[in-house]
Amino acid sequence: MKKIYTSLRILSFFVLLILACSAYAQDATVTGTVSFADDGSPLPGVNVIVKGTTNGTVTDFDGNYSINVPEENETLVFSFIGFTKQEVPIDGQTEINVTMTEDATALDEVVLVGYGTQIKREVTGSVQTIEAEELADIPVSQVTQKLQGKLAGVQINQTTGKPGQGMSVRIRGQLSVAGGSEPLYVIDGFPISGGINNLNPDEIEDITILKDAASTSLYGSRAANGVVLITTKNGTAGETNISFNTSVGMQTVPERGRIEMMNSVEFAQFKKEYYEDQGDPVPEIFQNPSQYEGQTNDWYDALLRTAPLQNYNLTITSNTEKLRSAVVAGLFKQDGVVLNSDYERYSLRANLDYNVSDKVRVGFNIAPSYIIDNVPRTDGTRGQGILFNALHTWPIMPIFNPDGTRTTFNRFPADTGNIFSYANWLTSAEQIKNETKDVNLLTNAFLEYEPIEGLTIKTTLNAEIYNRRYEFFSPTTATFRINNPIPTNSEAIWEDRNDFSWLNENTVTYNKSFGEHNFSLLGGFTFQKFRRDLSRVQAQNFADDRLPVIQGAADINRGGNQTFDEVQEWSLVSFLSRLTYNYKGKYLLTAAVRSDGSSRFGSENRWGTFPSVSAGWIASDEDFMQNQETFSLVKLRASYGVTGNNNIGNYTQYALIDNTVNAVFGNDLAPGSAVNSLSNTNLGWETTKQFDVGLDLSLFNDRVSFVYDYYTKNTTNLLYNVQVAQESGLNEFSDNIGEIRFWGHEFALNTVNTTGKFRWTTSANISFNRNVVESLADGIDRVYGDSGWHITKVGEPFGQFYGHLSDGVYLNQEDLDSSPQVPGRSTVGSIKLIDVNGDGVITRGGDDDDRAITGNPFPDFTYGITNTIKYGNWDFSVVGTGSQGNQLLVRHLFSTTNLDGVFNLLKDVENRFRSVENPGDGFYGTTVGGGNVTGIERDWINDRFVADASYFNIRNITLGYTLGGVDRYFKSARLYASIQNVHIFTKYWGGPNPEISVQNNGQGDGGNLESGVDISGYPVPRIVSVGLNLNF
Amino acid sequence: MKKIIRILAVLGVVLTSCEDELSIFPEDSLSTPTFFKTEEDFTQAINAAYVPLRLINNQSKPYLAEMHSDNTYFARNTAFGATEQQEDIADHAIPSDDGITANVHVERVYVEYYRIVARTNQILTTIDEAEFDETVKANIKGQALFLRAYSYFDLVQFFGSIPLHLTPVLGREDAALPLSNEDEIYAQIVSDAQAAIPLLPPKSQQEPGRVTSGAAQTLLANVYMVRQQWAEAETVLRAVVASNEYALMTDYADAFSGNSDNKNNMESVFEVQYKEGPEGLDGNFLYNFIPRPITAEEVGAITGTSNPQPVNGEGNNIPTPDIIEAYEDGDLREEASIQYVTISESFWQDGVYPIIKKYVEPHSLHNNHGMNWPVYRYAEVLLFLAEALEEQGQAGEALTYLEQVRTRAGLGAPSGDLGEAIFRERQVELAFENKRWFDLVRTGRAIDVITAHGARIKANPIAYYYPEGVEPRSNAFTNITERYALPASESSLNPNF
Repeated sequence: MKKIYTSLRILSFFVLLILACSAYAQDATVTGTVSFADDGSPLPGVNVIVKGTTNGTVTDFDGNYSINVPEENETLVFSFIGFTKQEVPIDGQTEINVTMTEDATALDEVVLVGYGTQIKREVTGSVQTIEAEELADIPVSQVTQKLQGKLAGVQINQTTGKPGQGMSVRIRGQLSVAGGSEPLYVIDGFPISGGINNLNPDEIEDITILKDAASTSLYGSRAANGVVLITTKNGTAGETNISFNTSVGMQTVPERGRIEMMNSVEFAQFKKEYYEDQGDPVPEIFQNPSQYEGQTNDWYDALLRTAPLQNYNLTITSNTEKLRSAVVAGLFKQDGVVLNSDYERYSLRANLDYNVSDKVRVGFNIAPSYIIDNVPRTDGTRGQGILFNALHTWPIMPIFNPDGTRTTFNRFPADTGNIFSYANWLTSAEQIKNETKDVNLLTNAFLEYEPIEGLTIKTTLNAEIYNRRYEFFSPTTATFRINNPIPTNSEAIWEDRNDFSWLNENTVTYNKSFGEHNFSLLGGFTFQKFRRDLSRVQAQNFADDRLPVIQGAADINRGGNQTFDEVQEWSLVSFLSRLTYNYKGKYLLTAAVRSDGSSRFGSENRWGTFPSVSAGWIASDEDFMQNQETFSLVKLRASYGVTGNNNIGNYTQYALIDNTVNAVFGNDLAPGSAVNSLSNTNLGWETTKQFDVGLDLSLFNDRVSFVYDYYTKNTTNLLYNVQVAQESGLNEFSDNIGEIRFWGHEFALNTVNTTGKFRWTTSANISFNRNVVESLADGIDRVYGDSGWHITKVGEPFGQFYGHLSDGVYLNQEDLDSSPQVPGRSTVGSIKLIDVNGDGVITRGGDDDDRAITGNPFPDFTYGITNTIKYGNWDFSVVGTGSQGNQLLVRHLFSTTNLDGVFNLLKDVENRFRSVENPGDGFYGTTVGGGNVTGIERDWINDRFVADASYFNIRNITLGYTLGGVDRYFKSARLYASIQNVHIFTKYWGGPNPEISVQNNGQGDGGNLESGVDISGYPVPRIVSVGLNLNF
Repeated sequence: MKKIIRILAVLGVVLTSCEDELSIFPEDSLSTPTFFKTEEDFTQAINAAYVPLRLINNQSKPYLAEMHSDNTYFARNTAFGATEQQEDIADHAIPSDDGITANVHVERVYVEYYRIVARTNQILTTIDEAEFDETVKANIKGQALFLRAYSYFDLVQFFGSIPLHLTPVLGREDAALPLSNEDEIYAQIVSDAQAAIPLLPPKSQQEPGRVTSGAAQTLLANVYMVRQQWAEAETVLRAVVASNEYALMTDYADAFSGNSDNKNNMESVFEVQYKEGPEGLDGNFLYNFIPRPITAEEVGAITGTSNPQPVNGEGNNIPTPDIIEAYEDGDLREEASIQYVTISESFWQDGVYPIIKKYVEPHSLHNNHGMNWPVYRYAEVLLFLAEALEEQGQAGEALTYLEQVRTRAGLGAPSGDLGEAIFRERQVELAFENKRWFDLVRTGRAIDVITAHGARIKANPIAYYYPEGVEPRSNAFTNITERYALPASESSLNPNF
């Protein structure tokens, strides 16, 4: 972290000392007291080291220290987090007392912006930076998990607890139909082609989030979802540092939030009543429910375990006159809380900067990593996800045989209503392999040349290699499907993916001042190319379960595009330019533009231009503000700009031929080809125009700082596969159509509540994001989600839940006769739906049926609060995050409230309607009448499936203790203990994770058109861990 | 500064090559500018035009054309809920407000036939510009014309007025067309079928499984039968008979394709081709026609597979007591068409159900078989000819053709009115071959026959596979019409309906 003013101050202090001191001493002991400049109170825990050595100590409780100094000409370095570092030459003194001042709230910091840096004070866009140090104690594998709750305007959800997966990041509520919402990640200047879930967080120095268009427009057609700039570690000036960080933890699934299902007795009782109410004889196994007392088979619980997690990182940084370097080696190993799931990451990074001369600098970074990730098919709907299968398996089905061995397969006779058979899900979890192995290499090199003062020419070459091997194998002895008796058909999928992306960037920066006019001009040209080669083979029926190899498979499955080769390529040529100007450092103006030519855009629309302009005024520098003490900074900002989203697919513009439309004549396959899309030579990027105003305040000697932003943006030219009448032989036409408007408010507050020995700081943020669909294609006012549970409709927010509205059950014949019914299906006691279109009957299907919007997956607001307390050598922090007003679609109810007794049920279903005299709580309907009656309640998705998922999560509590000068080899050591996911306060009843979003097949979060669906996903564990940081 | 100039010069070179770098065509598939040029391209294109027939006939068309008639019904499984899509068809209870319906089978048949139309339009519009062997070209054009005519013929019979696309759709604007009336559609069908006949080779010279001049003649005759142009029908039907390309199989049971043998046999005029195996060319219609829930062993007993699985849901296209009754005593076809299976876990009576035997052929993979679906058989050509002659008052000659069919069935001369006899003969000879509903409609009997059929079911649900105490739904047989409503999903995309 560079602090120009602070450095100047230290420099002048240093010069004064040299002039003042003339005495010499040898091999002496230096003692002294370190105190707080504001009130003179002693400061414990301050690191005191002899500069350039590993010789150091830490001040005691009263701020006193004592250190042996071998040479007289040494310098002592005093450092303490939150305070300005001081360097004091010894020059023969034996007592050196130091007073330390708190960091001015980092206003002089330099922050990273796209293609350069700026002094934070002069930034005119909406930018937030997080130091990785702040995140270090959170014992999770992914950076984005650590960022939860820390960033205003950024919603980060953990949509599934699968180790190493499932984070969704959305900046300022941005979304689109097909273009996703993930921001662009830029690591050391290199926009990478994927996400950052496999990046070792310990390699990171800091993370900067660019939110408004002025900050992001230099990333042009990739910037609309926001940009995340990541800087990796490098040597810190004047120090050599070796640190070893480790933490070990245990993960468990909290009891809170687990779905309350019936136990064996309750289930048998339900079944007994089912047959009684139907007037049928009760099958023998249900005649005496109490026989199952204490014999519940909790299949879900049996799949869970307590699992360890461990993290080791060794970091070596050094900085000599010529060479700055950092090496980070990491090992992260997490066993999952579901059987047979685990995640391992081995990573290495070496960063080098070399000053060839005063004018020439070169640098080289290389970061290989290897990740192995195995998670059985846990997520997804019935017959797709093992967790959901387990949840609704009958509790009277035994997990174990009387002899203690596992059952292989459970099915009761059909007259018990058990129409599906179930494998042993423990065996499924253990035997089904679902593994990815990633080898990733990220590398950058640069050459920087400063021919004349203020002019810098820089060229960089970056490459990313990503190899992924995916293997799925389900032997004859296991299945993730239901109704698939064991032994079954073995099946396998192999997928090999090789991604290669390279980027060359060439920029020229020129800084010049004319009197009070300061200019900085940037110009650049970049070229990036990406290629993916992917091969996938799906096979089945292996000769031997022990040999899941291609040559062992009887059948290669070619139907339905299961086995294929794929090539994905794109290229991007860009010109960029930025002018930064300020007058007297208080009137600020920035203008930037990027022009992108992309292979993804149609031949008639190949180039997109993305300009932005922003201005700032530091009012606190004006004369009229000089006579007050309250405000140290008052800055007003405004910006406007245009950015794009180019996630439109690589070949969408072309009319493609599907060459797998094969026919058969006689018994011979005849290859067939058919047009399967229309060409669109005008296809282009999605355009987002964003306006932002912001206010930055610092008060009371920078003890309170406050940032507010309001933004409004319009995304137009949404890439959208417009449905066309299928009489055309096609389903859709890809076009840029439609508009969404977004707006929101963001507040961030940082306060230093107490200072000195007991230092308490708070940082809090809250964000309000809104969106509304302004238009879709001509003549189309809605898009349904693929599953029909969502609607995106003009005039409403995006991706709303869609279904019938319920009004209890038909309580009696009179109620039934006087209410609209589902023809042929409604009976007394069945669910009563509201006749939305007023035609007297309840129908489902078409645009004008009785469905309506039933809920909203988006929160009213999200917030985070972090409190940190340091007291002497102790430190303590609490991170809380929350979300208010968001809802989830509890989709698993279609099985877990299936009134036909086919599956195990929610305990609540006990209170269903049984007769006119005994109507229960009027919520769940009658079981009489079979699927024709009960099917409406579960299959015609309705507002009962929608649940409030507002929550507040005490995300992390950490308590640490720092030891200084343990012995001559250690500069310091810190021990800490932390709990992750301490407790979630929520009314959400559909499952343990109020952030969940799982697709039917469990392979993703459903995208924007179908977000917020709970089909039972991998639970997010609580992690109790202890850690140790050693600095040598 | 020199260096800067040099860098700028390099930039200039890079820029000139920009546009090349920005044109990336997909390597893993072809696109239209390069396709539709060669004989191989058009061969692949015509092959793809046949493909939707597999999906149409695997499930949806049998429900719309057979289970919608008095020949078959569904077998209610009270433990299973989501079955209204099929039941609504069998029960003539398809919700159809304003002439549109959300029924998935209606939508599938509509969409898949238009897929054939689009593929054949693409071929017919571009093939004349391509240069390759004229014989091959004529053959491909003939097949395309047949498939387009056949698609529109089924569409017009199911729906009446429909959009008439004759050229490929190139943009969003021309995707949806106004409805054309039945006369316009039929004029196009007749014109396409007539054009196809001389272009196509006879069966003996065509690759087995592809359409032939005989198939095109039979299609044209079928159109004339529906339009009651008896004389025109007679002319083309006589040409089929005179071609000597076809004959009845000796044994009625052998008229139908095996899993991999006896396909496109000498009686076959046109069959939808399937192939067992993992290539995705298989059918599974037999499984759709089995009552449920059924155990793995019972499935295995029917299908002969080594890896049978239990099947749940609801069984469809179950022969009614009425079709069983329709077989005269001694009709050999009854035993070849219907077999009885015991479903031990059934909720209905003793669980002994009739199923369609025509499609029961031993195969090896569960839920994956290779039997072809019969579209036109020579027996139907004979019955058409008999009917066309009878309608023109030539009863004597008509009877000779009818008797050819009856003789093979082990039956003698028909009794009673000849016209009625031919109609009854069609019901049993062509049972479960997607003919019955169309016959009821074209003869104007649909409303009466189905109304009576519905009354019989309501009066005696147990006879129609309802478990004891379970009643037909209250909306059963409340919406009996001669045409299906158009799909709701398409209505929202086409402003014309």
